[in-house]
Amino acid sequence: MASGTFYDAVIVGAGISGALIAGELSRAGKRVLILEAGPAGDMDTETYDSYLTRFYATAAKDNQSPFPPSDNAPMPRSKDVHPIGGAHPDASAYIVQNGPFATDSTYTRVLGGTTLHWEGKTLRMLPEDFETHTRYGQGRDWPIGYADLEPFYREAEREIGVSADVEDQAYLGISFPPGYVYPMRGLPLSYLDKVVASDVDGMPVELGGERYDLRVRPFPQGRNGIPNPKYDGGKGYRPVGAVSTSQVEEGGRCQGNNNCVPLCPVQAKYNALKTLTRALQTGLVDILPQTVASKVHVDHGGRVSHIEYKTYHAPDSKDHTTGTVRGQLYVLSANAIENARLLLASGLTGTSGLVGRNLMDHAYLLAWGLLPEIAGTFRGTICTGGITDLRGGAFRRDQAGFAVDIHNDGWGWATGSPWSDVLSIVDDHNKFGAELRRALVARISHQLLLAFMVEVPPSTGNRVTVSADYRDQLGNMRPVVTYSVPDYTMRGVVYARELSRRIFQRTGTADHTWYDPEDYGYVTYEGQGFAIRGGNHLGGTHVMGTSARDSVVDANQRSWDHENLYLVGGGSMASIGTSNITLTIAALCIKSARHMVAQLRREAAVAEVATH
Amino acid sequence: MSTGVVSTARLKALLQAGVELELSTIPPYLCALYSLRPMTNAEASLVIRSVVVEEMLHMVLAANVLNAIGGEPHVADGHAPRYPHELPTGVVLHLLPFSREAVDTFLKVENPAHPHRALEADHPLLAGRNHQRHRARCLDVDEGFHPASIGDFYHEVIRELEAAAADIGERTLFCGDPTRQVTRDYYYAAGGRSILVGDLDSARAALNEIVEQGEGDMGAMFDDDGDLAHYYRFQQLRDGRSYRRSDDAGAPTGPPVEVDYDAVYPMIANPRSEEYRVPGLQAAAAGANRTWSELLLQLDAAFNGRPAALLPAVHSMFKLRDQSLVLLANPMPDHPGRNAGPTFEWDPSARAELGMRL
Repeated sequence: MASGTFYDAVIVGAGISGALIAGELSRAGKRVLILEAGPAGDMDTETYDSYLTRFYATAAKDNQSPFPPSDNAPMPRSKDVHPIGGAHPDASAYIVQNGPFATDSTYTRVLGGTTLHWEGKTLRMLPEDFETHTRYGQGRDWPIGYADLEPFYREAEREIGVSADVEDQAYLGISFPPGYVYPMRGLPLSYLDKVVASDVDGMPVELGGERYDLRVRPFPQGRNGIPNPKYDGGKGYRPVGAVSTSQVEEGGRCQGNNNCVPLCPVQAKYNALKTLTRALQTGLVDILPQTVASKVHVDHGGRVSHIEYKTYHAPDSKDHTTGTVRGQLYVLSANAIENARLLLASGLTGTSGLVGRNLMDHAYLLAWGLLPEIAGTFRGTICTGGITDLRGGAFRRDQAGFAVDIHNDGWGWATGSPWSDVLSIVDDHNKFGAELRRALVARISHQLLLAFMVEVPPSTGNRVTVSADYRDQLGNMRPVVTYSVPDYTMRGVVYARELSRRIFQRTGTADHTWYDPEDYGYVTYEGQGFAIRGGNHLGGTHVMGTSARDSVVDANQRSWDHENLYLVGGGSMASIGTSNITLTIAALCIKSARHMVAQLRREAAVAEVATH
Repeated sequence: MSTGVVSTARLKALLQAGVELELSTIPPYLCALYSLRPMTNAEASLVIRSVVVEEMLHMVLAANVLNAIGGEPHVADGHAPRYPHELPTGVVLHLLPFSREAVDTFLKVENPAHPHRALEADHPLLAGRNHQRHRARCLDVDEGFHPASIGDFYHEVIRELEAAAADIGERTLFCGDPTRQVTRDYYYAAGGRSILVGDLDSARAALNEIVEQGEGDMGAMFDDDGDLAHYYRFQQLRDGRSYRRSDDAGAPTGPPVEVDYDAVYPMIANPRSEEYRVPGLQAAAAGANRTWSELLLQLDAAFNGRPAALLPAVHSMFKLRDQSLVLLANPMPDHPGRNAGPTFEWDPSARAELGMRL
């Protein structure tokens, strides 16, 4: 970065949102600076491989295990979450948990952001998800509908490189223009999916007065498969491979590695470094790494005048320098929690008072058991198929919808398989050598885990705040999260558990599900207890709407209060429905970037007139 | 050079030789790739891997051309390569661990103009293990045909195709069953795209792709897609520096490429399974050879009307890698300082067993 440079846009956060916007703006000839809180290695395989090495070498293989921790830009980790006891709030980890529910959701503060560990599912939202209030009297409507976002979904599917077949994905109102095909053909269902499907396909379910015939359906995936020759009017699609200095990799294909979450060993899974690399090729994008934005300053007219930042000198040292950057536009793309944190730390609570409120994250309910037959568990990427028929329908007046994942990594999420199985077979069953190997294979190859991703509607009481009492090493205020799982969601959870029992019955699965009352995610509802997991699908904290009174940003993710400030990412979403949020975030950001280019041109034209 | 007498028999022999030529380059690349110790030599691993998957594509492309003119491409049984293996350019392919010498051989394979010194039998890497060499089939297609390079070889094939098309008609020449072509649906890899061959233009495109990816097109290092030709990719390893698009050949100015020749399993040169005396190594080598042979049979089936056989072949390739790594990680007690390695020997019993399943 040239000191004193005035940029067309200053972007905070180099995840998928920031990378996409940097790419769009720079390709329109605009100069862009990205502030990135994490350390930025070179965009080569070495940095990526260092993540892989750290992941392989770490015993606790959580989502953050590949990434170097730093107290200057701390990351939430699932293993840091405890039941919130007497001492309120629990400030022992980066996110200060004010409860009553303790969230284990995470986000990753490195170049490329959370797409470095994302699962790669790229479901579109349902048309009804954009109008849940009108249709079902629940949640909030969006200021835009599915049809407005549809063209941008297609652009996002190109950028991410989605593998799916339209025939499988056109359901519950999801529509595509005639002749559209995804960039790459759908990835196959795993053998485990097929075993489950053989009993579940055609299973009838009555809900909300409607009948659904369940089926196991492949998920659209942000990982390289077989390019569809029909894509783009017959031009086809070229998969994007590993980010590398020598640029030799021609789009490595998914090989079914089971550790694709957190990290794909061959970069067949999309990560935002791919988008960032392309943005950097314009020569108009600068990145300032190890730099945490600490305050957004606003002038008397309400425009953002500059952003104050702290650049730390080394990940393990709190030595830092403070500086400011200026631009025509400012874009906060640091995820729902960090965007809200930065705004609130800057004293920008907004006209609506909704900054930080309406925090949403999918509530995951896990159910697990042993199938009667060997099902090839632990083969394939984490999740290739599931049941999506109950994502939408009239029942959403009363209870939350959900999507069901069939997990190819067995009981991993629930019990820590396969490592926990090794311990149990050795310690409890005294097996070793060949017998241990046989017992382990016998146990894990029967494992079935269903993960119900349950919708969480926006609720103003679920929120991010800041407090001067809680600061990180650089002195930045930490996010304080107040959160409870809404009853609407819990009714969906109760139903999900019931459905899991029926599916287990149909598949002959011995149910081993057990929710520990000591679990940090333990929630009781109407006398039943459940362990709820977070989904890392954070939304709602700068919610999108139709006016400054009842929302924080407009349909282009521009702040109502500050005309040159865009708050982008999951925080803008008015509902998160039952789709993993990254694809929708990407579509929204592409849409917003076009709007930013138009605003820059408009403001440049005005400035031109003013100087004459 | 065309003799004026059209012979599709000679064309078929040339293309079969081409299929075998491409196949023969794969085991030496795999030995170099798998001998890299895990977590080291990231760039070297990427470079070799990117080249070897393109060699696989080349084999598929040559097979598609042969199928297009009614031939039957074969890679199993007597068509399986044996090492050391002499290519038409005179360069001898040994099965070697990743080393400066191996990189130099790869440079020579990809570019005949590369000044390469053949390994002397007493070179420490070979240590006298310079077994009788096997000649590439394209050296024996007919007397008087001595291609100076792989590019020359394919240019001869293209000339022959053109002459045959002029003589008997393009339609008659390309009489092959289109369902025998390996399509993009089955060719699942990152080494570029399979090309369906059904006429002279597509045949030229397929064969030119082989030449371009290898040597580069008339000195252009990068192709239209921005891909660096194999020869220059290996130069990046030799010189420890990457190419930028604006660089002149031989003078890369990009970021450094770290190569650690010591972070390599010291595989014995040209291993033979009969030499493994430890039962564990014997079993591992037998397993790897069985997998290699199954893979060849799957490829053979894929080239002869059952392209779907390429899908289980992906599994065989992973299995071969895992079995090769077991061999590479184990020292040979009777050869101090040397580890075992995959031997890439044809196992005749594989056909009887796998034949049932294919």
